[in-house]
Amino acid sequence: MTYEIQPIESPSRPRPHLIQMPPVDTPHPTPTAEAKDQAQPKVQIKDLRFYYKTYEALKGINLTLHDKRVTAFIGPSGCGKSTLLRVLNRIYELYPDQRATGQVLVDGQDILDPRQDLNLLRARIGMVFQKPTPFPMSIYDNVAFGIRLYERPSARDLDERVEEALKRAALWDEVKDKLRESGLSLSGGQQQRLCIARGIAVKPEVLLLDEPASALDPISTQRIEELIADLKSDYCIVIVTHNMQQAARSSDYTAFMYLGQLVEFDTTETIFTHPKERQTEDYITGRFG
Amino acid sequence: MVSEHIIKSYDQELQRLDNIIAEMGGMAESQLAAAIEAVAKRDSELAARVVKSDARVDELEREVESLVVRLLALRQPLARDLRQIVAGLKIASDLERIADYAANVAKRAIALNQTPAVKPVSGIPRMGRLGSGMIKDVLDAFVERDAEKALAVWLRDEEMDDLYTSLFRELLTYMIEDPRNITACTHLLFMAKNLERIGDHATNIAETLYFLVHGTPLAQVRPKRDRTSLALTPNADVEDIEEDQD
Repeated sequence: MTYEIQPIESPSRPRPHLIQMPPVDTPHPTPTAEAKDQAQPKVQIKDLRFYYKTYEALKGINLTLHDKRVTAFIGPSGCGKSTLLRVLNRIYELYPDQRATGQVLVDGQDILDPRQDLNLLRARIGMVFQKPTPFPMSIYDNVAFGIRLYERPSARDLDERVEEALKRAALWDEVKDKLRESGLSLSGGQQQRLCIARGIAVKPEVLLLDEPASALDPISTQRIEELIADLKSDYCIVIVTHNMQQAARSSDYTAFMYLGQLVEFDTTETIFTHPKERQTEDYITGRFG
Repeated sequence: MVSEHIIKSYDQELQRLDNIIAEMGGMAESQLAAAIEAVAKRDSELAARVVKSDARVDELEREVESLVVRLLALRQPLARDLRQIVAGLKIASDLERIADYAANVAKRAIALNQTPAVKPVSGIPRMGRLGSGMIKDVLDAFVERDAEKALAVWLRDEEMDDLYTSLFRELLTYMIEDPRNITACTHLLFMAKNLERIGDHATNIAETLYFLVHGTPLAQVRPKRDRTSLALTPNADVEDIEEDQD
């Protein structure tokens, strides 16, 4: 009997006695696991371009954000991730010489349409900023502020709504006995949760979080992350973060942006274990030069 | 090649992990070669040295373990770095097992040298050479991060299984021919099994390396040719018996 070693062929040629592997490179950026995910698309961004005067800060972004899922935007400073967030509730319109082209469809309706009511839009799409921004008023009024803006609830209803929002933001137990004290008297982490309570009190559909924990200590950070995990069951959440571990821990999908472009979008697990793009890999492993 | 980290000490630690594994691999390979030489030349002193040297490989494995735990805790590795570190831990454990098997062969060589020589001793060096070659190539593949080379090693285990099956039958024949051969043949049989297991661990390393390079597991079914678990007599035809692939 003779023994022959099977010749090894180049990877491009098929090996007849082996089961053919599925191709490693799936078309970009179509997440392999996204198809299996039951989540509904909530926001569809199509060929979005954004300009600060003549400077093009977003260069044709195409991206779908899913309902009841957390999507993280990561990328180096100036890559356009915060700009993208600012387009989603058109907060950029507060500034002159800034404009967006393309489409941002929320439940199929283009929010970039000039006829879009901006107050209504911002009630549907809430935003929390990097630095806690409590208003210089009582804890109660901070939360009630947004509700009063859009609705005229009875005093009892308002009490209920404020309590509900503070409970949802995991702050109720800490502030229930001092609702009339100033929001500014709270700690940084509590202030940030107060801002989240204010954001969700108006029952938005999408929650945008711009570096919500970057100014907080690790315990407060974990409270915010736990809160994100809890809020996920009701909202489409987008989080911008410089903290890679935070993106890995708290999101379902991750988008890596660089120089105004979406380099890679996939499930968070894929992005952090075997990203397809070299740029993504270099960034998340700390090799960006 | 992969570019460097912004933090230089991270690169140095990852390099150190690779270096320890390369050293372990070199030791496992030379331990195996020495054990086989001890069998072929009936050299009990050499065999005793192999048994003694195994402790150094164990020590290196513990070094890998503590370095990996440290890297995971302090660097929070991601993507390729994470795969390299996890792969390092797995490969070190495979290499430690390979060295263990080599030491087992050496131990049996000492016992075997106290019995009269039997003919099928020549099959053991053949398996040993193949095993050494697989370890060497898979380690080269590791250093070069060459998944194709690893795949080639992975496929060579088929030959190892064939050699083992053939030697198994041969030894069975010798034992039936003359019961005085049983002691020596039993030792040889266990040696052959150890060498066959070394081949399996070399393929494990190849699989780990494939994962390290591509980020996806090697999803192919490896041809499995060790059918000795089905053999009843030296001439039993087991080709038609279905066997689960593991």
